[in-house]
Amino acid sequence: MQRNTTVGMILRPLGVPLVGEGIAMLVCLWPALHFGDGSHWGILSAALLTIAVGVTLLWTLPRRSATAGATDRRLSYLTVTLVWIVMTLFGTLPFLLVGIERTDPAQGFAFSNVHFSISLADAIFESMSGLTSTGATAFADVEGLSPTLLLWRSATEWLGGFGIILLVLAVVPSLGLNKYSLYTAEASSADNTGKTSTSMRTMVQQTLATYVSLTLLFVVLLLLSGMTLWEAINLTFTNISTGGFSIYGDSIARFTPAQQYILAASMFVGGINFALLYNFFTLRWRRIGRKLDQFCFFLLLTLVATAFVVVALHRQGNLPFEDALRYGIVQTVSVITTTGSVVADTNLWWTPIVLLFLFLSLCGGMAGSTTGGLKVMRVLILLRSVRNTLTNRLHPHAYNPVRLNGRPVSNEIVTNVMVIFIVFVITMLVGVLLLMLCGVGATESLGAVFGCITSYGPGLGACGGFGSYAAFPAVAKWLCSALMLLGRLECLTVFILFLPGFWRNR
Amino acid sequence: MSTSQHKQKAFFRRPTFNFRLAFRLLGMLLVIMASSMVLPVSVSLYYSDGSQFGLVAAALVILAVGLFLRNFLGVGATFELHEKESFWFTAIIWLVIPLMGALPYLFTSTVTSFTDAAFESFSGFTTTGSSVLTGLEGKPQGLLVWRSVSQWIGGMGLILFVVAILHRLNEGSARLYEAEFSGTLQRRLHPRMARNVVLMWAVYSGLTLALFLLLYFGGNSFVDSLCTAMSTVSTGGFMTHDAGLAGFSDFSMGCITLFMILSGVNLAVLFCIFTGRWRQVRADEEFVRYLIVLLVAALLCTVSFSIAQGHLQWRTAAFSLFHIASTMSTCGFYTASPSVWPMVVSVVTFLLIFLGASAGSTGGGLKFKRIMILARYVRNYFVTMIHPRAVLSVKVNGTVISNSYVTRIFSYVFLYLLFVALGAFVLTICGYDIPNAFCMAAANISNLGPSPVINNLGASLDYVSLLPVAKWTMMVLMLAGRLEIFAIVSIVLPAYWRPRN
Repeated sequence: MQRNTTVGMILRPLGVPLVGEGIAMLVCLWPALHFGDGSHWGILSAALLTIAVGVTLLWTLPRRSATAGATDRRLSYLTVTLVWIVMTLFGTLPFLLVGIERTDPAQGFAFSNVHFSISLADAIFESMSGLTSTGATAFADVEGLSPTLLLWRSATEWLGGFGIILLVLAVVPSLGLNKYSLYTAEASSADNTGKTSTSMRTMVQQTLATYVSLTLLFVVLLLLSGMTLWEAINLTFTNISTGGFSIYGDSIARFTPAQQYILAASMFVGGINFALLYNFFTLRWRRIGRKLDQFCFFLLLTLVATAFVVVALHRQGNLPFEDALRYGIVQTVSVITTTGSVVADTNLWWTPIVLLFLFLSLCGGMAGSTTGGLKVMRVLILLRSVRNTLTNRLHPHAYNPVRLNGRPVSNEIVTNVMVIFIVFVITMLVGVLLLMLCGVGATESLGAVFGCITSYGPGLGACGGFGSYAAFPAVAKWLCSALMLLGRLECLTVFILFLPGFWRNR
Repeated sequence: MSTSQHKQKAFFRRPTFNFRLAFRLLGMLLVIMASSMVLPVSVSLYYSDGSQFGLVAAALVILAVGLFLRNFLGVGATFELHEKESFWFTAIIWLVIPLMGALPYLFTSTVTSFTDAAFESFSGFTTTGSSVLTGLEGKPQGLLVWRSVSQWIGGMGLILFVVAILHRLNEGSARLYEAEFSGTLQRRLHPRMARNVVLMWAVYSGLTLALFLLLYFGGNSFVDSLCTAMSTVSTGGFMTHDAGLAGFSDFSMGCITLFMILSGVNLAVLFCIFTGRWRQVRADEEFVRYLIVLLVAALLCTVSFSIAQGHLQWRTAAFSLFHIASTMSTCGFYTASPSVWPMVVSVVTFLLIFLGASAGSTGGGLKFKRIMILARYVRNYFVTMIHPRAVLSVKVNGTVISNSYVTRIFSYVFLYLLFVALGAFVLTICGYDIPNAFCMAAANISNLGPSPVINNLGASLDYVSLLPVAKWTMMVLMLAGRLEIFAIVSIVLPAYWRPRN
């Protein structure tokens, strides 16, 4: 294989996402012009730069040949990780360019005369947090940011959420990585042999249609409940993508109960498999059939956890029942879908609730949704596999496969789930240790690792509740950004790039 | 009904309750336990420390119960044990023996509440070493010896006692052995189970005796030497002074460190060392890695201590080695620690708590062998991600590990973490903060006991002030860690009690 074609094949897939990102930046011109915050030049130049690079990549590099993708899966892994990294890098442009200031306004434009009011570590952190739909913020005072940047943050989450569904539902199967795609275990559009019954183009169209119409639906609902258009757009963007950025310092605490319940509904919908949503809303119920194991488990988990939190808040926290109910429902949904919108200062809540939240965020929502974490399906497969291991010791000769939706799950998928679980745990342990070495306290490290790798967002202590990661040292912010990427791409895809064998040509 | 059908019926039957055999085994164990109390009783008589009546009374009660179970309820037991039964046998023995072992604490009025006595006893028999006793210098000497004796008995596994004696158990003994020693992790020293167990006991007793003599002739008192020797070799960690091992001489500390390192080694490998089969020792991948990790961690600690203190001392290096050995072998000994305690050391220690000792040793934790298998499996997995048709196998010491065994290890790690999580959850309900709750749960499930790392994370690790609920939870964790979880979890599964077809 020629080296230049290889580079082309790696870089060309970056073109379309970059153009999309640039268009999203152009949309952010609206608040710049509407509120007149003086950031229009910054955002316009960022948008044009991003679009220019994207278009250049698309024009100059050769089209990926149809057979190449399936033959060399190394390219696929590299591409998937690169897309997120490059998107993040370009996503920092608005933060850097809008935040650009002249130290001495009287003088002309020169590099010595310029400083960025937002540091690179902060910009990367925020951009990564958005594109991985994590929702951890590096800014202590969110309301002090210009409206352009606020919308850009929300837009990155919306893009990131869409990106991850596309990746799992459409791109991964088409790259020939089916075997490792969790989605093949969920039988709504793929059967257990790994053959997808739907083409990539259809899949993209269906996902886009579902995502956009759900976004519109929730914007309208929020408008009806009395929000301004500005709030409605931003919050829908961040909650349907289970991201969790807010345009206010107190996240979603200031909204009326009705608005909070609507937001909780949008998070919950964001935690559901998008193929399932599409089939449900387009009345293709027969396709769904009884393949609802994962959804039922997700629902059950949410209900049980919510019940515990509500009772605990009511009894231990001495909250009136209405408040306990609302806080319990909204916050638990926010946690299990790894959104990270905060309805009250969770740092003050009873410690077992906070610990339960850590575990729930690790569980995450359904596979093929915008949520992070391990995904409910993996937890389900893990639990069933462990149960089978135990019963197999009692009946060593019994044929006892792990079943999902009544059908046996292939060994490869079970192995994949176990490896991902172990790698997740090890990454988290090492993450906590590294953060502590950076000088972050034990509680904050633990919370930050859970918050970042599960793409929940808020951690514990200073970075939990309404807090932010602003006080973290720059190294710790870089580390957290890396954790977000690892969590979003489920560790393996990223770690494989660091394998010596990956770069060796056979 | 044809023969094959009949066989199948027999195979899928409900676990039978061979109560007579259970009573018989329990009775024998209790008699052994009572006779092992000769040691504490004679120590207390010699020092006339006021605990002799309590200890004698406890021994008599235990003996009486033992004889009653063995000679009345257990009469006419059929010596037949099936796979399924071995689980609840193990569980019930490990429940009853520590509970009976709590009697000496109660009868000598050392502790007043039953929970505390049970906690101390469970902590002893599971070789954890978490203690609710304070002011150890003022406690009767006989009782201190009993604490260490309980660890010494527990370290080797209660059931091995029975297996060694009960030749009639045949296959059943192997099943019990596996239930207690988590299957193939332990290599046998001899094909015959009874012989194997005797050899294991010989290695174990030899180590204890050697350390005792070294300590005693190194100038320590009889009780100090005896207790410390038994606690070290069993990787238990009960100590005879409030200040830990701070009062011991450098020579004694050196001996203890060496024996802690040895106790974290697979007994089969120790056997090879003692019989001079060096080639087998060097070929044991787990042993080599255990030593490497130990030395590297100790070096890391030395460096970070030296940086924190600003100068390098031999004493610092010795302390680092002692600390790492104590953590990895899950002894949980402590001594006067340096005033500055760098974060790196805490962090390394916390990781090592999970790692634990070698498989087939008396130590706890996840065990080196399991981690090695997992690491190799994950590495292979990454390779198959690139080359999906590659067929790779996991090998340890040249033996191919089957996929189903790897799956079992995965399940084990998952359950281990689940137990840590549940334990931490209960501790947070009792008012601990999250990092401390995790540390305490991890320290107890890996049978480590007290650890300085936890103190360094913020709160003092004080088992005395734990709520009773938390104490019972910690007991469950210790037991789960000691029995390697499967035996405990299996018997609470509905499938265990349900006949198939």
